[in-house]
Amino acid sequence: MLTKSTMAVALSASILFGSVALAAEKAGVKDAGKEAIKDPKAAAQKVIPQQVRKEAGSANATASAKKAFEKVSQELYPKAKQEGNLIVYSVWDVEHLRVITDAFMKRYPGIKATYWQGRNPEIVTRVLTEFQGGQASFDVVLSDNAPPVIRAAGGIMPYETVQKDVLLLHDPTLPTVSLQIQALAFNTKKMKPAEAPKSWEEVANPKYKGMIALDDPMRAGPLSSMLAGLKTQWNDDGRFKKFLTGLKALNVPVHKSTSAMFRLMISGEYNIAMPALLHDVMEEMHKGTPVSYVKTNPPVLFPRQAGIYAKSPNPNTAKLFAEWLISEEGQKTIDSVGRESARNDFKSKTSIESAFGKGAKTLPVTDKLFLEDPKKWLDTFVKPIWEG
Amino acid sequence: MPLVASTIAGAAIITPILVVFWRSFTSGRLGFDVGLNLANYARVFSDKDIMPMLSNSVIYAAGAALLGTVLGALLAWIVARTNTPGKALVELMPLYPILMPTIMKNIAWILLLAPKSGILNGMLQQFLGIETLVFNAFSMAGMIWVFGLACVPLGYLFLLPVFLSFDPSLEESAYIAGSKPMHTMLKITFPLAVPAFLSAFVLNFLRGLRSFETPVLQGTPGNIKVFVSRVYDSMALEFNTGLATSYSVVLVVLSVITLYFYVRATRFSERYATITGKGYRVRVIDIGRWKYMTFLLVFLYFLAGILIPFIVLIVVSMIPYYDYDTFMKFPSNAVLTNYFIVMKHPSFVTGLYNSLVLSVSIAVITVLAGITMAFTIYRTRAWGTKLFEFIGTLPLAFPPLVLSVGLVIIFIGTPLYNSLWALGIGLFVAYFPYAFRNASGSIVNIHKELDEAAWVHGAKWRHVFFKITLPILKPSVGGALFYIFIEAIRNVDVAVLLTAPGKEYGPVTLFEYFRVGQWAEAAAGGVIYLIILIVAVSMAKFAFKMKFSL
Repeated sequence: MLTKSTMAVALSASILFGSVALAAEKAGVKDAGKEAIKDPKAAAQKVIPQQVRKEAGSANATASAKKAFEKVSQELYPKAKQEGNLIVYSVWDVEHLRVITDAFMKRYPGIKATYWQGRNPEIVTRVLTEFQGGQASFDVVLSDNAPPVIRAAGGIMPYETVQKDVLLLHDPTLPTVSLQIQALAFNTKKMKPAEAPKSWEEVANPKYKGMIALDDPMRAGPLSSMLAGLKTQWNDDGRFKKFLTGLKALNVPVHKSTSAMFRLMISGEYNIAMPALLHDVMEEMHKGTPVSYVKTNPPVLFPRQAGIYAKSPNPNTAKLFAEWLISEEGQKTIDSVGRESARNDFKSKTSIESAFGKGAKTLPVTDKLFLEDPKKWLDTFVKPIWEG
Repeated sequence: MPLVASTIAGAAIITPILVVFWRSFTSGRLGFDVGLNLANYARVFSDKDIMPMLSNSVIYAAGAALLGTVLGALLAWIVARTNTPGKALVELMPLYPILMPTIMKNIAWILLLAPKSGILNGMLQQFLGIETLVFNAFSMAGMIWVFGLACVPLGYLFLLPVFLSFDPSLEESAYIAGSKPMHTMLKITFPLAVPAFLSAFVLNFLRGLRSFETPVLQGTPGNIKVFVSRVYDSMALEFNTGLATSYSVVLVVLSVITLYFYVRATRFSERYATITGKGYRVRVIDIGRWKYMTFLLVFLYFLAGILIPFIVLIVVSMIPYYDYDTFMKFPSNAVLTNYFIVMKHPSFVTGLYNSLVLSVSIAVITVLAGITMAFTIYRTRAWGTKLFEFIGTLPLAFPPLVLSVGLVIIFIGTPLYNSLWALGIGLFVAYFPYAFRNASGSIVNIHKELDEAAWVHGAKWRHVFFKITLPILKPSVGGALFYIFIEAIRNVDVAVLLTAPGKEYGPVTLFEYFRVGQWAEAAAGGVIYLIILIVAVSMAKFAFKMKFSL
């Protein structure tokens, strides 16, 4: 009898504990009710203007951005120093985060910066669970896919950078601090530059069957973001359908890991990786690996942003961090770890100008639905063709 | 008391599961409150791809579990019961492959078995002129082979204590009746090892069902879709933990069916009691000329389980980039750049140190709790204890990310959130099934007459538990401690959501390079990590005479 009741009590306690946890979580949603929005699309349309892009830099824009940064830095630093802390959640490598936060702390003494690193699904899960639980747990989310998704759920404090005139891609609520740039890469041992496709569209040519590997177009990865960019740029459903049908007809291996696909292309398993990330290609070319990319093909630009958390306990420090990342000094630090600059006036080996030539055309990913609800976008535009 | 302890452990396990289960009744993405409904389940059960995916999952998981558990059991029998030559070597060889994480095996075997660029097909072509692409890493066979190798350690560690603590009178009776040694093995020894074998098989099968790395790296390029990818897509593409849990419920159903067969197969537990009250020494069997074959088998496993993949990783870590020609030019093209990069990594030491301390503690606590729960089920007569059989294995049915969401929801807003305690509890929940299944498989082999003798003399539960059960279970305790420690030290999946900002856990360096796909740096990190572990295990074995179930 005693044993029966012991078990019953303990299991009931467990269930009760679970219910309390859930109730607390739900209460958090209600607390955050004004911010947690029920319809993401309506909310996005209401508060988020479309991203804009400025491909060409100018001396005037550089000078005014520098001045604006110095001013905002002077305003924010004393308040940030009072706050004293900065917590960053990021998808970037620990090695890179360490360099960036160390440089920030050196530039702004008196602020202690720490970070937590996870993959995008882990970041979104953690941030939104904390947001629902009403937790003032961190300040900045530094990532590519995660910030717009978190914004759609009301978890981002809108902030427009004062240095917007020098950004290749600008979003008025999420400061863009770096870019993911996709390139059409090929193995030079397996293929001569003249044999490589000249554009993304040409990859779907049946002559490349058996030579290519594709990133999975049904996940929120590089190929699907390229598709979103192409769909916006072409604005031609027939052309989009023909391209995607052509890719499907190649019947080639599909990868869920872009990096594994890239390594297998280098190994000679594939001639072409569709697509590869420019910084990986540049790094390997620098080491003498037999890999190159098609310079005449417009690179895909995907924003990497520093979103400020809606419940940030150190909002001034968060803004200062975002502004510093966009400043020349911040961009040099980002470049030093091999990541691409977000500015149109920054010279480096991965800048658009040096990698693709002056005035090169680009393919920016600005589709709001894709950025905020990739599943819905893929179900609407890709799934019927890819899985149909 | 054991019941209370088991109930606390059971509550710790079931609470995060109940939390995520509750969430499965809300269909909104994270951050969007849409109220309670059954939409997630409607989606899961109307998913037309579910059956082909489940069928792939079952073939993959059952194939790998069968390969791994049978091979592990065979190795355990060879080590424990045969006169295979080179005893010291034979004891050590099955131990080292445990140290290599599955993801390292994946990468190394992809490089070996890739159709066009793989080392093995390249060698067949270069040295034997065989143009056909014989090996294919991106196939069901390739997946089963690699994950099967990762399943061997559980089979080995679960079966070794059983073969080492065998009452020889059972076999002697057979010999007296005229049975030959091999015949006795097949008819007496192996059937008596069934509970431990099934325990290891169930664990490996469930691990296979929810494993993600092998299907992603080897299955996707071969167009082999497995069920668990639906769970991950729900998280990665839809950010919907509720939907992910609804898909996980299908895995729970499969786990329950598997456990049902396990419980049925071992329901007459007295039949399997091989450890009795009589004094005896385990008999080593002379297997004649077969002993050279058994040595060869152990050596071949050592080659496939660690030596060949390890050599591949060493070469890959030292060549400028991997392709077949560059690989074959080694060592003339060797460079150490990747090692300098890894050693300079800011978290190389801190992450390793943090995880070392925590994983030792977690291994001890989890193993003790696992034995306590198994003791409660098989040695007490309390009502409803069979329920623990299910609860204790349940965490294995949930992919780690889903499980850790449940833990985050529980801890959030409490002082435990972002503390080492939360991480510790998370690891406890994740590894409990291993400790529990290991203990339950072994405890069935202990004849009740030993306990009953103590009860008759007025012993309390603690006397029976600490003086009888625990000492007899010592070999299997050693194996479970070793396995959980090795697994927990390299855990990333469960730990990631529970790690506080600024606190690195796990050999961050190593897994970061694997995660971001820098295979050369990852290989260098992997080589350093393996060397540290190999030295530690060898020192423990030879200098401190530590026993790993041996």
